[in-house]
Order: sequence, then structure tokens, then C-alpha cells
Amino acid sequence: MRNKYVFDDQTKKLPLILGIDTSCDETSASVTLGRMVLSNVIASQTNIHQPYGGVYPSLAKQAHQEKIMPVIRLALKRAGVDFVQLDVIAVTLGPGLAPALEVGINQAKKLAHKWHKPLITVNHVEAHMLSVLLQRKSQQMSIKKLLRERTGHPNISINYHQQPEPAIFPVLGLVLSGGHSQFVQINNFGNYEVLGETIDDAVGEALDKVGRMLGLGYPAAPVMEKLARQGDPDKFKFPLPLTTVNDFNLSYSGLKTAAHRLIKSLEAENKLTQQTILDLSASFQHAVFRHLAYKLNKLLEHRKQKNKQQQGKLKKDQLRKNEQQKDKQFFSQVWLGGGVASNINLRQTIRRILRPYNIELQTPFEKRLCGDNAAMIALTAGYKMSYTRKNYLQAQLKDLDRKPSWRI
Amino acid sequence: MQIIKLTHNNHQQVIDQAIAVLKNNGLIIYPTETVYGAGVDACNQVAVAKLLRYKTRREGKPLSIAVASQEMAKKYVKVNEQAQKLYDKFLPGPYTIISKGKQTLAQGVASEFNTVGVRIPQHQLILELVNQYGRAITATSANASDKKRPYSVDDILNNLSLKQKNLIELIIDAGTLPRNEPSTVIDTTLSTPLTLRGEGVKKKANHSQPLIFVSHSEQETRDIAGKILFKYWEQIKQRGLVIGLTGELGAGKTIFAKGIADFLQIKDIITSPTYTYLKEYSYDRYQVRGCFHHLDLWRLDQTQDAQFLQIEQLLAKKNVIAFEWWNHTKKLLPQVKPDIEVELKVLTTEKRQLKVYEK
Repeated sequence: MRNKYVFDDQTKKLPLILGIDTSCDETSASVTLGRMVLSNVIASQTNIHQPYGGVYPSLAKQAHQEKIMPVIRLALKRAGVDFVQLDVIAVTLGPGLAPALEVGINQAKKLAHKWHKPLITVNHVEAHMLSVLLQRKSQQMSIKKLLRERTGHPNISINYHQQPEPAIFPVLGLVLSGGHSQFVQINNFGNYEVLGETIDDAVGEALDKVGRMLGLGYPAAPVMEKLARQGDPDKFKFPLPLTTVNDFNLSYSGLKTAAHRLIKSLEAENKLTQQTILDLSASFQHAVFRHLAYKLNKLLEHRKQKNKQQQGKLKKDQLRKNEQQKDKQFFSQVWLGGGVASNINLRQTIRRILRPYNIELQTPFEKRLCGDNAAMIALTAGYKMSYTRKNYLQAQLKDLDRKPSWRI
Repeated sequence: MQIIKLTHNNHQQVIDQAIAVLKNNGLIIYPTETVYGAGVDACNQVAVAKLLRYKTRREGKPLSIAVASQEMAKKYVKVNEQAQKLYDKFLPGPYTIISKGKQTLAQGVASEFNTVGVRIPQHQLILELVNQYGRAITATSANASDKKRPYSVDDILNNLSLKQKNLIELIIDAGTLPRNEPSTVIDTTLSTPLTLRGEGVKKKANHSQPLIFVSHSEQETRDIAGKILFKYWEQIKQRGLVIGLTGELGAGKTIFAKGIADFLQIKDIITSPTYTYLKEYSYDRYQVRGCFHHLDLWRLDQTQDAQFLQIEQLLAKKNVIAFEWWNHTKKLLPQVKPDIEVELKVLTTEKRQLKVYEK
């Protein structure tokens, strides 16, 4: 899927999009050309807060408000693009934190109005799911030259949605982050079914919380990942949640409580040494991923059985016809997005589950694209232009409102 | 509609007439030691439907039932040890004791938690009537929802629409009743009796005296949350409600929030708001539409950061706001005063203690 970009006439018609994301802690802006990331600026607040160690994000509205224009300008500058050249402006409408979303939406509205650009609103979770489709900027092509010919005309053709080939659908989308944990069946762009999701804490959240109990600061999940490499994942045993329930939902509250109790008792006995913390990190992370792997496997197994049953019902001649497409109903790929997707251990765990099913795991091409970022917002807007019937060229700027709990 | 004046010597005649009406799916208005009640056969679905039309806008409020004896009560509800003590001490009398239902009553009588309020009125005529009829009748007050407490037949009739009047078949007029308070409602389905209305058996809980519940399962914690909200439903509609939840990790704060959502009939899964600080769910409970805001400011340490969330804008009628980590949050939000504070404590793996402070 990550074949080199072919720079032909069609490529020239790819939409040039400015994406903006302020769904929670991060202020981010990005410029994409089709699937290609020209720039992706994230004013990561995590960098700002680490020195405070234990003091938590200054997420004051001002933080977003002060950063948003500089971040947008920097994104355009790095991409070598001017406002005039843009085809579309894209912004996250939800889900997320309402006042934070508002900052991005208002800014996007202003810019769209000022520069007469259509505005496309994007679902943050959908964007995480599609983030694997982002591609590296092609080094061989002179993007500058290409862009020079562009004036931001709105009648661009959007053929690039045919890549990847629609034949690969259905795809299983896996969004694992601090705020979301979902299994989603992607039937096509814009056609999604949630198959399972967390009923309490998101995967990243569980890791962050237990990390904080261990005094690993914020965000703790990446620190835990590092510590886990030096620890023994089998040192502490954690339960496997929701094994008796016949759905594909995730639950982390039980694991979290078990970890809390363990840490308390270790503390009380004065046994919380450095090695213990390493072992605990490894063991807890292992338990978190084991639960995920268990549910993923259950989902795939269930789907496979269902396919078999369906095929059993078909007549023989139909069966022959279906022979070639017999796996068509089954997932050919898993698209993994969200902050936790950058965890190598998680990727290994998932690959191990997918191998017997012959499913390919796709992940974003760089770590930065796993966490919250605007490149995925711009990318999704591009696909959205191709699958929605709504005419975005007449943007309904007035009616636009944030959707803090928007489900895909 | 027929009105019979109750005199010293026409009791049996009145009872006979009332029984005839009840048997015929009819609705009667009768006096009790508190206010006038509206009665239909509590096991008869047609009759109960009629009563619900009469009462209008119930919004999930259960109808209590009047029985003549403890034995009769036990046909309809499971009387636990605690309820038994209350029955022995307080009934007959102006008390409604809530127990788990046995699902032997018509639909709409039990609450959404399948609990039923039982009255044994301290009123000779009604005890005799129910006893002779042999089945429970509903014991809800005779006013339409939200209207004046009915101490006289005029109180009732003056506040009814023609449609409602037409639903009544018989009024037993005992003149103007002494102005006794409506019955005190005591819920015994929780580990601690929860007084839903009235002065209560003990003195009304004050600030320093919390209600203490012990929950034995997640579901029970959710039920407790639902019942507490139920008690505040009027306030939610008029002013909104702010709840502060305190308890260590795993104490069940999010479970409590799930109970709030159950009560508000929210279908979405309530997940932890730690990452986004705030999650918003719109609800529609019996045509009352509002928002449930679930907050977790665990990650915040500064007042200015908390201000970013514009909490004041969330405080509105019909809105329910629940803060997790309230003991931590209150420092950040000195301007917010919760109506209820709940302290959750882990007792064992499954058991949780809930201390509820009502402000």
C-alpha cells in the first residue's frame, strides 16, 4: 500500500488540504496533498509539561487560542503553501473536549470565510482509523513546481479514493488511544460499524492511570512502554477480563483496580523497588494487551465461523463461484491507529493474533501520526469529499457546531 | 361519576358499591388518614392504564398499593428483614414501605427498578374495603401529578380537566380531611433505608450525617445512584443537579456515573472521562430532555485550567453534572457547590460503601 506516489495528471488534481485539530490537549495543523503529508505541526503540550513533573497540563483555553494561528502558519510554511492555494480547510468537529474543539472550529470557520474555502468537518475517531493511509512526502517530485500551478480551484477531481482498491474492504479498524478504544468494521469509506468498544477506560487511559500510580508522570503510557522492556511480564499475574461475556467489548476497570491493590500492598510492605516497578510495568502492559488480543482473536474467530456457516448454506455451483471470493467477506487488513498504536509490543501482540488468519497489519508510517494530529484530519476530509453527497463547496458555516460526543 | 357521602352507618353500602366499581375496571377516589387516594385494581392492566391516564406525566414514578394486612402485602412484594421490622412497627400508618416486587401486579405499578411501595392505611373503611375485595388497590394520591394535595373533594375536582373527571367512577366523600402530611416513603431495597419523602422515621438527615449504603455489586451501585437521582428528579427538572464523587481508583465512581446514565435512560456506554476531562451525553427521560455532563479533572492541578472548562455554563436546569475526584476538584472549582456528595470506599473485591451527603 505504501507504493511510491505516481505523479501524473491525476496527482495534479489531488486536493490540497489544511487540517486543524484541537480535540483535546494538542493544537495541531497540517497540510496534505491527497494522501501525502506535506507538513504536520503538533504543538505538543506534553513537551511543555514534562519539566513540571507531576503538575498537569495547562490546557487553558488560551493555550489553544495562543497557539492555533502560529501552528497553522508554521504548517503552511513548512509545506510551502499559501492560503490561496488551498482547496479545502478541514477541522475536527468531535469527539473531544467541547471548549477545546470550539477553538479549532472557530478558527477554521474564520479562515474558510476569509479565503472563501469550503470547510469540511471530520470525526476524530474516523481520522485515527484512516491515518494508516497517510504517505510520506515524495522526495523525487518537485512539489513546489506542482504547487505553483495550483490556484486553489474548487473543481478538483477526487479520484484518489480508489487507492487503496475498494476490493480490500471490509477492513477491521482498531483505534486505541488515551480517549478511545474501538473495533470498527470498515465496509468502505464512510461506512462503519462499531463491533466492540471499551465500557470503561480506554487502553491508553488504563496505562496512564496505572503509570501515574507508579509515579511515572504524565503521560505515563510511553514511559511504561520503555520500562516494560526491562521488566518481567510474567512477574505479576493479572486477571483476564470479560471472558464470560460473549461480545467484543473491552473493560479495563478490573485490571486497574487489581493493579491499584497490588501497588498499595507492595508499598505497604516497602517492596516497591526499581525492579518491581519495571516488572509491574511489564506485567500490567502485558495484561492490558492480553485482554485486547483475547477480544481481537474472539472477534476474528467469530467472524470466521459465521463465514463458514454462510458458505455451508450456499449450493455447490455457487460455492465454486464463491471459491475465489471466499475470503472476501473476511478482513484482509487491520488498520491500527491512535496513540497506543505506536507501542511496538502491542503491534507484535496484534501481529501474532493476525498471522493464522492471514491478515495484514497496517500502521501509520511514523509514530507522530499515531497520536492526535491534524494530518489525519486533512486526509479524512479528502476521503469525505469523495464519499459524501453533501455539497461542501457551499459550506454551511453558520450551522456548524461542535459535537463533543460524536460517534462514527 | 358518582359521589357518595360517607356517614356513620353507610360503610358497608359504600364498600359494596366501591367493590362493584373496582371489579368493573373502574377508578375510585377514597379517603385515607393522609390525603384522598385514587384506587384501581392494582393487578388489572386495563384499570391501571386508566389510572395512569388520570395521573398524567408520571415519568417513571411508581404507584404504591394499599393492602389490608402483612400477609396480603407478601403476595406482591418480597418483605426482607428490614422491611419486616418497619411493618411491625409502623403499619398500619402513614408510611409507604418500598420492597422488591414479585411481578404479580399490573405493569406501571412497580418502579423502573421493580420496586413497589406498600401502604396499610390507618383507615378502617379502606382496610375493610381492601380486605373484602381481596386484592391490592393502588394507593396514589388523588391529585393529578404536580397539583395541590387533595384534602377535600373540591381540592381534587377543581384541578382536573373534564377528561380526567370522566375517568372517575366513584368518589367516597368523607369531607375535608385533617391536614396530615402525605405518607413517609421508606425504601428498604437498599442496605440503608432511604427516605424518599416525608419527615422520615429518624430526624431528617442533616449535613454532617450522611446516608450510608453498602453495595454488594456493580449493579447495586448503579441502582443506588438511580434511586438517589430519582429522589432529585423534580430538582433536576427545575434547577439541575450537581454531584461530587469521591473515592480512590476502582472505588466505583464511573459505575456510579453509569447508574446516573441508566436513570436518565441514556443508551450510550458511559466511559471514563479522564482523557477528555468532560464527556457530554444528551438524555430523554419521559420527554424531559437535558444533558448529563460527566467530568474528571484528575489531570488538572490549576484553577485557571479548570476555568477553561466553563463549568458555570453547564449548570442549568435539566442538566446533571457529576464530578469524579470531587475532593481533588473542589479546590479547583470553589464556585461549584454540589447538591450531593458521594464518598465511595472499597470494602472487599465486590463490596463498596457509599456515603451520601445531601446539602
